[in-house]
Amino acid sequence: MGLLTIIRKNRQKEKEMRILFLGLDNAGKTTILKKLNGEDILSVSPTLGFNIKTFAHGNYTLNIWDVGGQRTLRPYWRNYFEQTDALVWVVDSGDRMRMKDCKEELHSLLLEDRLAGATLLVLANKQDLQGSMTDIEIRNALDLHSIKSHNWKIWSCSAVTGENLVTGLDWVVADVAGRLYYSTTASPKQAPVPVA
Amino acid sequence: MSDPAWSFSQTFTAQFQASRTELESRVDLAKSSKITADALQTLSSDLAKLTKTLSDATGSLPSYDQRQYELQLKGLQKSLEELRTLIPKSKFAFKRKDPVPSTVASPSSVQPIVLETSQPGSTPTSTNLTLSSRSLQYLTMTSFPDTSEMSDLTISDLNNCIVNLLPDASGGHSSRDSSLKISALHIRNLTDTVLLLPIIQGSVLLHDLSRCVVVVGCHQFRMHNSTSVDVYLSISSTPIIEHCSQIRFASYPASLGISEDSSPNVLSIQDFSHIKSTPSPNWSMLPSETQISKWPIGSAPEKEEVAGLLSVLLPGS
Repeated sequence: MGLLTIIRKNRQKEKEMRILFLGLDNAGKTTILKKLNGEDILSVSPTLGFNIKTFAHGNYTLNIWDVGGQRTLRPYWRNYFEQTDALVWVVDSGDRMRMKDCKEELHSLLLEDRLAGATLLVLANKQDLQGSMTDIEIRNALDLHSIKSHNWKIWSCSAVTGENLVTGLDWVVADVAGRLYYSTTASPKQAPVPVA
Repeated sequence: MSDPAWSFSQTFTAQFQASRTELESRVDLAKSSKITADALQTLSSDLAKLTKTLSDATGSLPSYDQRQYELQLKGLQKSLEELRTLIPKSKFAFKRKDPVPSTVASPSSVQPIVLETSQPGSTPTSTNLTLSSRSLQYLTMTSFPDTSEMSDLTISDLNNCIVNLLPDASGGHSSRDSSLKISALHIRNLTDTVLLLPIIQGSVLLHDLSRCVVVVGCHQFRMHNSTSVDVYLSISSTPIIEHCSQIRFASYPASLGISEDSSPNVLSIQDFSHIKSTPSPNWSMLPSETQISKWPIGSAPEKEEVAGLLSVLLPGS
């Protein structure tokens, strides 16, 4: 049984995922996390530094890192890239004036080696506000179709109403699970142990 | 060997083989015809699903079978990789261009995908409220269409203006009910301008202000790249400034109505350009004797009077 225990433990570990929340300031990263966690969203202040939240989601444990998006903090984003399974890019759908900024920051992130292979979820936040850009408009504004290096998807959502937050997370988890499990089952050291 | 694990592996095998054969034939088809990036995406996501099904069944399958299935999937994965190399990659480059939908469709292989949803001109574009490119004016609620929904408002490129969006803004328009409810504000590029705003629900984001007075109540406040601004603020979170200088803060004036909102007298401002324990040189509290006591909220002034009013209200005057 010793070996079985080890294998089980190993699989337990695999069920952890590291998800990085990034985006320009005022996108609503922290508010989304607080909402997902059922916390009060009225007291959210602009993030100086980062927050970590751990959720149980289905069979998985999600470690979510939410890093502040102010311009002075963006150079520090790179410190959080290591071992990231999924990148959640949060967009303020009402911020038409900074869509170009938003697109450039996103595309430069995708060139990072340490984020290669990470699943990309774009959340078009603040859909509760009248006059917000739709997910299709944002998809075009951010030129998401040019992304071939990452598995991506865009969801419109609202941190205030909670719309689509869980759905979006579901997609991320399923996508990462498919990929992680494939790579571990295919690697030689994890090959099934012959029973006979 | 008629235990549940065995019967599970029987049914699993049948289902698995069926999905795999089906996927294989689709991959073969894709090989013989020209494949789009979208179709490839579907294939690889289907393959990922199948891989996941297999990994979920780990432990319930005979290990030899499992190994065989893995090899089969690996083979499929390889075919997909080959297919992927056949698709011409669009070269990535930063481009300083307006985000017009049509510009997305540059490489020919990607075109079909883009066309299905965003033919130039046919995309339903959302519109938001904006107030921009004015000078020497007194602007009130009447500048907007009547709407009672929560909305996002953009104010940009104003100089020498007074903007009064307080609910009571008179001038024929005093009914509170028809007033517009703003729940998010994006403000950019204002000079020598006074903004009188109500308490809004969402956040306020300001860029590039110089020599302005901003009165606002909000949930979050962020100011960037601004100089010489007096801010009268009611807020429940920590306001922040970044790349700013000569910013002075005071609490939301009680004379403008909303006094039941207990805004703290001492605001603690976070300066992201000065993350040190020493006080930031970029902001200070506005001494009460320099605070504005007479706000331009009566009847709308004549155009010639705006400049005069501004010269009294703006910082440094």
